[in-house]
Amino acid sequence: MSVTFEFIKKNGTDQELWAGIRNSNEAAFTAVFDLYHKPLYNYGSKLCSNTSLVEDAVQDVFIDIWRLRQGLTPEITSIKFYLYRALRRRIHVGLSRHLSMEEIGMLDDEDVPHSIANSETILIETESSLIRARQVQELLAKLPERQIEAITLRYFEEFNTEEIAQIMGVSEKSVRNFIYKALTSLRAHRQARLISTLIFWFTLVF
Amino acid sequence: MKYDPYSLTELIRNDDFIAWVLHPDEELDARWNVFLHDNPEKKNTVESAREYVILLARDTGRHMPTPQQSDKMRRMVEEHMRREDGQTEIIPLNSGWRWTRVAASVAVIFGVGMFSYWFYNKGSERELGVSSVHVIASREADQMVRVNTAHKPMMVLLPDGSSVVLDPAATISFSKKNWQNQREVTLSGKAFFEIAKDPQRPFLVYSHGLATKVLGTSFLIDASKDDVKVQVTTGVVRVFSVKDLSETQKQKHVEEAASYGMLLEHDQGIAFSKENGEIVKLPDLVASNIEGNNTPIFVFDETPVEQVFKQLETTYNVKIIYDKANWASFPLNATLTGKPFISKLEVICNALDAVFTIQENEVRIKPNPNL
Repeated sequence: MSVTFEFIKKNGTDQELWAGIRNSNEAAFTAVFDLYHKPLYNYGSKLCSNTSLVEDAVQDVFIDIWRLRQGLTPEITSIKFYLYRALRRRIHVGLSRHLSMEEIGMLDDEDVPHSIANSETILIETESSLIRARQVQELLAKLPERQIEAITLRYFEEFNTEEIAQIMGVSEKSVRNFIYKALTSLRAHRQARLISTLIFWFTLVF
Repeated sequence: MKYDPYSLTELIRNDDFIAWVLHPDEELDARWNVFLHDNPEKKNTVESAREYVILLARDTGRHMPTPQQSDKMRRMVEEHMRREDGQTEIIPLNSGWRWTRVAASVAVIFGVGMFSYWFYNKGSERELGVSSVHVIASREADQMVRVNTAHKPMMVLLPDGSSVVLDPAATISFSKKNWQNQREVTLSGKAFFEIAKDPQRPFLVYSHGLATKVLGTSFLIDASKDDVKVQVTTGVVRVFSVKDLSETQKQKHVEEAASYGMLLEHDQGIAFSKENGEIVKLPDLVASNIEGNNTPIFVFDETPVEQVFKQLETTYNVKIIYDKANWASFPLNATLTGKPFISKLEVICNALDAVFTIQENEVRIKPNPNL
């Protein structure tokens, strides 16, 4: 019996890329930069509206990884998770330096009663896709920062609640509350707009 | 008002629902289709919720950097790398980045030094247009990891000749360094194991705090759900929880013969709770306790080779190339249940006076040149 040894040369996984960076492999480092700098910038933009500060923070995260590559932890489960946590820390350091103001984290851990969630109306299901799309856009424009952050990490980045809690440095319950509140304001927002539309038609008719 | 777990808001934030909307697979499709079938009145709610999840995912990703911003960040990072290397001259921009932007080259470097051989699913790779398999083998990083990112089962051959069929999304990893002393792998997701016999070196599978110890046998582990399930096909395996054990305690239990944990024989199965580490015996049965365990029984009685090879091809997702004109109707008598893939091939080739070579996911069978 003879077996041909065949190796597959494809994209590395996280552990492989990480080991590469630790061994000063520039290609591994570039691959990670190419893979993550864009979504990282996207995430950073939710934490801070100053685009050049976000750019700096993203750069710094990568510069630090390369600079400190030999001291990086050998065990890593997810490079993505590592990067997001690092970026968040960076941006908050940068923000407090810029504004000489500490981030004041208002944690709201109180339980949201289930019953609020049940006032679903049939209206939302019959609304058109176009209205829904506008509704989500309007919502995202007015939500508090932490809710936006949690929503971004959950739906766009697809981190799970546990990971989001660790990235944001809050409890899992808080993460669930952030997301829950964001979604309920989606509903509140919808109802308010519906009422204003009704009033508008009312005034037109009468 | 009564709490409805399938109200619009609850659906939008339900992990399982989000996963279904953003990455539907067969299992999720099946589950949610059953839900819709049982709750036809929820059809509109589900549709709305799906739209919201997609909108939320899309709209929270709208702040990507422009290509100019991207380049600027890349330049800055690169400049720092150069400065550190002690190069002070300014390299003209268009002479480009030293960086090779082809990620594939990364793996070439690491691929060297691998001591095992692997298959990968060519077919699904073509379908998806992306790599269906990630191989990790770095000289420095000792961990070998295989992930099945395809939609079909993927066979992994281990250095000892054991074979593992990974279901989609399953991951298996092991330490290269340790392998010579102890056959130990870590599994997440669902996989069917056929272990090469080696009484000196027990084979251990760790999955979310559950250890499954075997000497040579075949079994299915499903670690993709809340409970880890183990179902034995042939031989005997021992399972025990290592959740709250220290390294030394763990080592002791691993080395002990059969005094610790629970012994399972063929057709027996257990469920292990990831949460509290409890092992519950499942009722013995002929049919499987684990959904989708349709591992065929490899018992052949005057079975034409063509049929045998077909079964191997489907089970292990490989392609077998052989001289059909000469061999297709050759009758085979063999019981190959529980034997690893390589052993199965050896038995068959013995009967045919043939030899085999394996390359990627292709097996070529040729007449034995030494005869």
